[in-house]
Amino acid sequence: MAKSKSRTKAPQNADEDDVVMQELPTSHQPDVQDDASMAEANGEDDADIEDEEEVEDDTQRVRLLPGSTPTAASFEFLDEGHTLGNALRYIIMKNPDVEFCAYAIPHPSEPKMNVRIQTYEGTTAIDALQKGLKDLQDVCDVVSDKFVAAQKGFKKKSIPP
Amino acid sequence: MDYDPMAMDEIESKGPVIKISQADTVRVKFELSNADISFANSLRRVMLAEIPTIAIDLVEIEDNSSVLADEFIAHRLGLIPLNAEGIDELQYSRDCDCEEYCDHCSVKLTLHARCTGDENMQVVARDLVPSGDRINRVLGTPIINESSDGLGPLIMKLRPGQEIKLSCIAKKGIAKEHAKWAAPSAIGFEYDPHNKLHHLDMWYETDAKLEWPPSEYADWEEPPQEGEKFDFNAVPDRFYFNVETAGNIPPDAIVTQGIKVIQEKLASMIKDLGETEGGENGDYNGPRSPEYNGGGGDGWQDQGFTTPYGNGGNQSSWGGGAGGTTPYGTTPYGGAGQDNGGW
Ligand SMILES: [Zn+2]
Repeated sequence: MAKSKSRTKAPQNADEDDVVMQELPTSHQPDVQDDASMAEANGEDDADIEDEEEVEDDTQRVRLLPGSTPTAASFEFLDEGHTLGNALRYIIMKNPDVEFCAYAIPHPSEPKMNVRIQTYEGTTAIDALQKGLKDLQDVCDVVSDKFVAAQKGFKKKSIPP
Repeated sequence: MDYDPMAMDEIESKGPVIKISQADTVRVKFELSNADISFANSLRRVMLAEIPTIAIDLVEIEDNSSVLADEFIAHRLGLIPLNAEGIDELQYSRDCDCEEYCDHCSVKLTLHARCTGDENMQVVARDLVPSGDRINRVLGTPIINESSDGLGPLIMKLRPGQEIKLSCIAKKGIAKEHAKWAAPSAIGFEYDPHNKLHHLDMWYETDAKLEWPPSEYADWEEPPQEGEKFDFNAVPDRFYFNVETAGNIPPDAIVTQGIKVIQEKLASMIKDLGETEGGENGDYNGPRSPEYNGGGGDGWQDQGFTTPYGNGGNQSSWGGGAGGTTPYGTTPYGGAGQDNGGW
């Protein structure tokens, strides 16, 4: 009894597992289990978990992947692809506080897009992502305004005096 | 964090610039410069695939004595361009409160034609008659270009005595789901007309220069000098768009709508992230960084890597349960001493 118990527990050292887990690519980490364990740790019951899965539209589309630290995080975006991924990657890399940013679509048949952000000390990956999203919004605002302005200018030019 | 995202490099110091070179009811040609290719491509992709329009999605065929199969006709009907003016006020059927479809989420069109003469008859898009309470007078009406003599696209032909009677439900959708919802009919996207960046490898018989006609934008950019060395640091920064419509949305509106779709994506992401941060773990599913956990650093990591069903304690999510020695040692279905597998 005591023997089997100790054997059971021996390889389950949390730190060891963490090392193993972090070496795995995030797309291979069993996120579903982690989610549920999180819910359990927070005292949520199973019904809540099921509800979360059933509600489709209002669920979170951005998720912090396991193995993330404040300055080095991976995010999973649901139902996003290269359209957002590449532009976001570019704009986040523009941030001088960001050491590294890349995006990937782990598998073409899964509607998921992952973004990895590593920042220098003094800021966090989440902040860098938020800043990136806002910066991209700013770019969109400018392009939108410039397009409308160019339209007006073009119409003026094309109407003969 | 004090910097201007649009004024990082010297090249981009002015921020994005747009020049329109042609604009009419069918197309808008413009140049986007001082922008990165990633943004230009996002704009192209979003215009192609994610602007909502309206197209026939359900067809109920009452009578069809033509030579064409029902499903063949249904497919052709789906591809007929419909006016999408006011599409913002139309709901997606899946989000609507109704059972299947209603006036808030669809437009009904009917088609009834019988060939009574002794010559073959053409059934065209003009014969599709919208009915019911519509959001406005044009939403869902088939697009009839002047070039078709006011008839619109040909749907099918009927021989004398043949008849077609059907009703269609047009719904809101995006081209990511089906190309029939595409807002533009085509988008031209081009940069680096002289191929200075070598992003293209031109196939040729004897001389690529002679065999490939110059781009219409070739005059807009400096051709490479004789013996000019390849610039390894050069990146594209002038993009030539040609947004063309079939008539469902005006071409300039496609561009503004496209930017709007990107904006909405970003806004929903920012909102999601905000929810992630706020609240006492709220809807947030994943492990969170210590500062958002409220607790110490280790608690955060430990929680992230435990199995939900395991026998308590810190177990690997891979190996899981009781009998697991190596992470991969036990199968989820085998009876290796697990009550609920790690997988
Ligand atoms: Zn409805």
